[in-house]
Amino acid sequence: MLKPLLLGLVLYFALKQVVRIRVEDYQLVLISALFPWAWFQTSVLLAAPVISSNGNLIKKVHFPRYVLPFAVVTNNMVHFLLALPVITVFVLVSGYRPSAAWLVGIPMLALIELVLLMGVVLLISSLNVYLRDLEHLVEVFLNLMFYVTPIIYPLDQVPQRYKNLLLLNPLASLIEAWRELFMSNKLPGLEALWPCLVFTAIAVAIGSTVFGRLERGFADAL
Amino acid sequence: MHSDELDVITLEHVSKRYYLRSQRPQELKTAILHLPSFLRTDHRRRPFWALDDVSLNVRRGESIGVIGPNGSGKSTLLRIVADLARPTTGTVQVNGRISALLELGAGFHPQITGRENAVLNAVLLGLTRKEADERLPEIIAFSELGDFIDQPMRTYSSGMYIRLGFAVAVHVKADVLLVDEVLAVGDTEFQQKCFSHIEKLRAEGVTIVLVSHDLGSVTRFCDRAVLLQHGRIQIDGESQPVVHEYLSRITALIGQPVSS
Repeated sequence: MLKPLLLGLVLYFALKQVVRIRVEDYQLVLISALFPWAWFQTSVLLAAPVISSNGNLIKKVHFPRYVLPFAVVTNNMVHFLLALPVITVFVLVSGYRPSAAWLVGIPMLALIELVLLMGVVLLISSLNVYLRDLEHLVEVFLNLMFYVTPIIYPLDQVPQRYKNLLLLNPLASLIEAWRELFMSNKLPGLEALWPCLVFTAIAVAIGSTVFGRLERGFADAL
Repeated sequence: MHSDELDVITLEHVSKRYYLRSQRPQELKTAILHLPSFLRTDHRRRPFWALDDVSLNVRRGESIGVIGPNGSGKSTLLRIVADLARPTTGTVQVNGRISALLELGAGFHPQITGRENAVLNAVLLGLTRKEADERLPEIIAFSELGDFIDQPMRTYSSGMYIRLGFAVAVHVKADVLLVDEVLAVGDTEFQQKCFSHIEKLRAEGVTIVLVSHDLGSVTRFCDRAVLLQHGRIQIDGESQPVVHEYLSRITALIGQPVSS
């Protein structure tokens, strides 16, 4: 919880005070996106090596292997949920008011992010057993992804010609939906969320298939 | 061989192939950098058959010893029965819950305490959290670890590791108990205790598969033994004659004159 807060503070200083980005309530723009992003990033980063580094357990005890990556994801979800009061404080201090839309919007978006993450971590954690350097590539990829996701800028700041390109990023529509919910009390509609839903479906389909195939060889490959 | 409902473990023509020094790159970077040569070279992998056409039926309540020299496939056999590795060919069928104690450190995490590891391990072996908590006092008492139970596992000696591992494995109320050459680490007193506990489990109808180089305990505690060599079952029968035959084969081997 400290990491997104500190990151938000530094970004606020660099982009609002120094670069003087012209976005209203920039602290809220940052905070509303940084926490859902931190959940995603930390989960993927920590789940990538979770099978390959638990060889000792996998070789000696029989248990459903998917619990290892899923534990990372749900653990980070709890961190995110615990940060909701912090987000609420930012919303209130910035002069906004939470509404009943949150009660529907938060579980809905959290569920989508959870399912998306499960698909992604199943794929990455199982591939990492056979391609050990994947976890480093994932780290680099996540760092780049940070800048092409509407985190340090809202989606409406993005020039029209780049917008569709940006929405190819599975997280773009999701992060923007979180922000819309926290800042405008707007429930995400299908027209805004469909790219993310499509990616979620693809991630779950590929992730569970690949994991199911590779799982059999874990004990032999570790 | 046909199986009936009394068989707890049924292996039919089970073989397990491993590859020796496979040329397959372990990293994405290596895979890409070596792609041209990788595609050009003939990378036939040299197979190694750890198990070769093994068929075995174990009945409920039977206690069977698996003996044989190092590298003969004993541990691979147990791993396949425990469903930790899949056979390359053949079928495995196990009726009932398995508790496996394979090698040292049976999946313990070094940074957390013995108590936490005991619960974690029991849950991984198929108990619910509640059942694990209920059996915890029994497990701790059996392990005789005393106050050390609340120390992190990394501070444990190998004897202490095995005490806790064995205590958990025998208290999860499994139908089949697999023990792979681990009791040798414990002291004599603890070994005695383990064996008398195994006797008790046998009386309750638990099936036991014991891998051991301690041929004495195999004859004492197993009614049946199989001798594995080069991944094949050489002899399968009552433990006394099988152990006897194994010993005489060793003697024959050593007794040969060392000349070229």
